[in-house]
Amino acid sequence: MAVPAPNSPESTAEPLLRAVDLTKHFRLGGMFSKQVLHAVDDLSITIAEREIVALVGESGSGKSTVARLLAHIYQPTRGEIVYRGRSVRKLRSRRDLLWYRGEVAIVLQDPFSAFHPVFPISHGVMRNLALHRPELSGAERRREAERVCETVGLGPRMLDRYPYEMSGGERQRIGFAQALAVKPKLILADEPVSMLDVSIRVGVLNMMASLRDREGVSLLYITHDLASARYVADRIVVMYAGNIVEEGPTEAVLSNPKHPYTQLLLSAAAEPSEKEAEIAADSGEPPRVINPSEGCRFRWRCPYAIDECAQITPRPTPIGATQVACHVAVAEAERASNPASITR
Amino acid sequence: MTGPLLEVDALTVDYQTESADVRAVNQVSFTVDPGEFLGIVGESGCGKSTLLFAVAQLLSPPGEIVAGKVMFHGRDMVRLGRGDLQSMRWRDYSIVMQSAMNALNPMKSIGAQFKDTLEAHDSVSKEDVGRRSIEVMELVGIDPAHLKSYPHQLSGGMRQRAMIAMALLFTPQLVIMDEPTSALDVVAQQSLMTKIKDLQRSLGFAIVFVTHDMSVVHRYSDRVLVMYAGQVAEAARTEEVFERPLHPYTRGLMSAFPSVRGPRRELIGIPGSPPDLARPPSGCLFHPRCPDVMPACLNREPELYSVGASQVRCLLYAEEARKAS
Repeated sequence: MAVPAPNSPESTAEPLLRAVDLTKHFRLGGMFSKQVLHAVDDLSITIAEREIVALVGESGSGKSTVARLLAHIYQPTRGEIVYRGRSVRKLRSRRDLLWYRGEVAIVLQDPFSAFHPVFPISHGVMRNLALHRPELSGAERRREAERVCETVGLGPRMLDRYPYEMSGGERQRIGFAQALAVKPKLILADEPVSMLDVSIRVGVLNMMASLRDREGVSLLYITHDLASARYVADRIVVMYAGNIVEEGPTEAVLSNPKHPYTQLLLSAAAEPSEKEAEIAADSGEPPRVINPSEGCRFRWRCPYAIDECAQITPRPTPIGATQVACHVAVAEAERASNPASITR
Repeated sequence: MTGPLLEVDALTVDYQTESADVRAVNQVSFTVDPGEFLGIVGESGCGKSTLLFAVAQLLSPPGEIVAGKVMFHGRDMVRLGRGDLQSMRWRDYSIVMQSAMNALNPMKSIGAQFKDTLEAHDSVSKEDVGRRSIEVMELVGIDPAHLKSYPHQLSGGMRQRAMIAMALLFTPQLVIMDEPTSALDVVAQQSLMTKIKDLQRSLGFAIVFVTHDMSVVHRYSDRVLVMYAGQVAEAARTEEVFERPLHPYTRGLMSAFPSVRGPRRELIGIPGSPPDLARPPSGCLFHPRCPDVMPACLNREPELYSVGASQVRCLLYAEEARKAS
């Protein structure tokens, strides 16, 4: 089996951000506990300039951990993150960290715990501005804060409100406003629309697309909703239990999903125009990632699992325009391209 | 049994705040037939959760029902005392809340919570408790071994299933659900909805289901109530709403979903945000966001007009409704 290149073939130029074999383990339990939770394992991902990459997966798949690793909130257990040619691991000084946090902003998933409850909303936005754009005067900061508020569709009045006075959707947008205030090159958006109302959701998705098109910002859009991923993303990366199972250009992945998990996700995605569609019989139980053994982590839920799946962890392998980590799909693709070499 | 199971008539709820009274639910009427699945859709702040709480008599100050009736089993629940309500809860109607993690007691096993519920409403033997608990767990598709589990040991999907199991302990005729699937992943969400629908078909209870997800409503509900700013914007049978959405707000909601399969096209959604109910706009409450706004909308409040079998609160249909009557 060919060792896959960490980058997709077309991205020969240095991408904006490149993570190689990113791994994050958490030790659970007491001092002598041997339980290790494998949140992310050997994950390689690139984000080009002016690109929206959707990271899709269910809760517990490790996608939020990826965001926190890329945001330099967590230190990776193993692996490397390179941002514009600089190793993120080596950023130690306050100046370097401030620079990185100004370039790469994160929008957190839970808008209810992301804000300091005793300060008005303006506090966080203005503080970000004071830290990252010290050249602005007080009045300019205020104007800038109002501008980013309007960018996310909130009136300037909102700035004087307290978090408890706001709805979830409003808070989520403030999260975006806070990130936008520092004029980042890359925004890591962790389920930014999952708690928003449908009517506003499209607005935020459109806003993400226009940030890319007008201001050249790249985004990592983390979601479990394939439909919205398809709507905005140039590339889709599907994660399951800490591993990438499939990735590639959006249409290539969704028009012909090769990994059984991607297929399951796609079958569960409700289409407003469909009446009680056929849904794969799957309970949606989360995977076990505490001290996982070798082998494919989807095999317990996989309808096509073969013996090999329990022994060898599949690695992302190119099939057409996409990369797929699945023994069955890879074997099938090989058989299709080279019918003479059937070994079974 | 003939006639509707639940009849809500001009229900009005105010939240009393220091500065002003906020009318969160404004003259909302609807009925639910036995075994029917009614979907209530709207965005956050439209009063849909307040409406559910008002129907279930769970409102606490500063929320207060200031007018209207909730007829259930021939009795007006608004006028019932604490004791009467207590005896009806769980037995005749039950509620599944949005976040099962907050609704379940973290200190008690699922089985112990089932036992509490059963004992509070019925004199049951220990054997009956065990038997019924196992029955309902099997109904919702969880291994009864999890009766010994604590809420934190279950996944989100299983917790919601456990909540539904609890709601079915007494086989009530009405189950009220407040976005039970919104905290779940797509796969778990679909499997839970399919389960709910199966249970409803086999046990025959009615469901009032609050959500903001039009696709869920379309797939599973018989009738739809679209709420906007505390009022009913549109009420109709599900097929009607999806084939011929009348209210501009309903149309906006329906065009706000990106699709996974169809052509990739730009969506508009609904610009602006819901009105501040402490300072509601004049005329039609939707007019500041409405793509089809007319001069009359700014000062004339639309009534709920009947168009065919549907009802819609929009001046576009005032003429049509007048001619028809």
